[in-house]
Amino acid sequence: MGEILSRVHANNLVRWAADKPNAVVFSADLTGSTEVDLFRDAYPGRFFSFGVAEQNMLSFAGGMAREGFLPLVHTFGVFIYRRAYDQVAMSVAYPNLPVRMFGFLPGVTTPGGATHQAIEDVALMRSLPNMTVLDCGDATDVETVLDAIETIPGPVYVRMLRGEVPRLFAAAEPLRVGRSRLVHAPASGPADLAVFSSGICTEEAIRAVRAMADRGLAIHHRHVSTLKPFDDPAILAAAVEARCGVITMENHVVVGGLGSAVAETLAEAGVGKKLVRIGLADTFAHGASKAYLMKEYGLDAAALIRRAEGLLGRTLNIGEADLAAVRIEPVHSMAKAEAL
Amino acid sequence: MARDERIAELEEKARRIRAHVVRIAGMSDCHTGGSLSIADMLAGLYFHTLRVDPGLPGWEGRDYFILSKGHCVPALDAALAMRGFFPEDALTTHLQLDSIISGHACARVTPGIDVSTGSLGHGLSIGVGLALGVRMDGAANRVFVMIGDGELQEGSNWEAAMAGAHHKLEGLVAIVDRNMYQTGPTEEMMALEPLADKWRAFGWATRVIDGHDMAQIVETLDALPFEKGRPSAIVSRTEKGHGVSMSIHQHMNRFDEAQTATMLAELGQGGGEGGRN
Repeated sequence: MGEILSRVHANNLVRWAADKPNAVVFSADLTGSTEVDLFRDAYPGRFFSFGVAEQNMLSFAGGMAREGFLPLVHTFGVFIYRRAYDQVAMSVAYPNLPVRMFGFLPGVTTPGGATHQAIEDVALMRSLPNMTVLDCGDATDVETVLDAIETIPGPVYVRMLRGEVPRLFAAAEPLRVGRSRLVHAPASGPADLAVFSSGICTEEAIRAVRAMADRGLAIHHRHVSTLKPFDDPAILAAAVEARCGVITMENHVVVGGLGSAVAETLAEAGVGKKLVRIGLADTFAHGASKAYLMKEYGLDAAALIRRAEGLLGRTLNIGEADLAAVRIEPVHSMAKAEAL
Repeated sequence: MARDERIAELEEKARRIRAHVVRIAGMSDCHTGGSLSIADMLAGLYFHTLRVDPGLPGWEGRDYFILSKGHCVPALDAALAMRGFFPEDALTTHLQLDSIISGHACARVTPGIDVSTGSLGHGLSIGVGLALGVRMDGAANRVFVMIGDGELQEGSNWEAAMAGAHHKLEGLVAIVDRNMYQTGPTEEMMALEPLADKWRAFGWATRVIDGHDMAQIVETLDALPFEKGRPSAIVSRTEKGHGVSMSIHQHMNRFDEAQTATMLAELGQGGGEGGRN
């Protein structure tokens, strides 16, 4: 494992907001839980506590955005898109206002169970006109997303990570909206498989892809942080090249998220590749540790190997020990030759 | 049984509920503060007021209890186990695989829980619908909904409050656990006062009580419904974390072994087998 960082968003937000007096932070009684306590202490005049009242918070954000402020709304993802979807749609998205929504606890990253797990947020937010949707997968994504979205004139929904976050991508290579990251490319020639992963699934995918590459498979793996707009030409190009098919892997239901976006892209381009969508298979999850849930619901490295074996029609003989042995260092995508 | 003995017995039930909450916090993260503040009211409800059958959790004549502040389920689990809905041993499996108790109230796994909660601001609306359905069925089940004070910041509660009074749901009871804290002080975060006046203005027959005074709790529950043709609201003034010094005003605790023992001793519930009902 590479570097593990702590409270990345908490620190980054304070740094980022220092020279942006129009940036205001909103919290609905989850100030510590969404890492905006440092912002509150640093800029108390720009911090607003709403109590447990998300509907008011989202429409309030629309109001302040109309006056030239940049509201950064922080709460758990479920309480943005489930609780206040109408307010998000009509007070923020319809007038295309620059409100930034940070949805914490994406998918199975919380033991809180169905009430706290945002498992269909990408599907809902992606279908909302004017909305940009991002999913952070590591510390570099988290600490560069604010800059990356700064010039977007309309609303942005970001799936955010908190607490201890690994650095999978070089700190000097910021998240770029609309551009996936190359994680692994075949040493030569076309790929057997194209793997597109997002969020916390990327760390698992890195593990599985290294192990499969050690078995001689040619794999093109990309980390996708922008789920809308979904127009990165590198994704379609990688899928076209993949001889045996495409696998998507996301911490979200398989309906409406990354897998659906890839399917739409392939179909619209007339690319008839087999597509395997790894994600929550149309089910609510229960409460347990992240590692346990990823295993139980088939979102981990072992699941990617199983699904790849199915696509390839053969066994790769990769065990848990092989996966555990994979050491993950930060990836320098610019240092690699693009396989395309 | 003399009334004083009855009160003393209920107070002991409340202490045992608190001891179970402390033990749960000794095993895993636990929303202690809001669980401890409702312990007395839960003792009054489950051992004095609610018509339930632990052997038949789905008995159709039962009173419904909805814990809208679903994160405080450790206290409810303790009350249900002590009332006989499931063995008290199950309380040692909080957040473990295949446990029948859960981090948020879960009707899918826990006998005696009718409504899964944990997303705030749902319970009262569900309670209004249930109470109206009960009346349309010509049945007599009562519906009790316990709501956190911070939770009342969710606007949905006030839509439900309007509807409950509009439909004159005499069998509906809202109990507000007025412990003054959410993750921080409620009146600083988004003030609710004058809270009892709000309920009265919404058409609810409202009483304000000391939620740690068992005699008042029993007297109040015995007086339900407070007025003919109106739903009843009890603003139960409590202290977040009451009875456990390390949990006062705390939203969550995780106790180590020594802390657990000290907190159990505070409750007069020390010892490995102590607190078994």
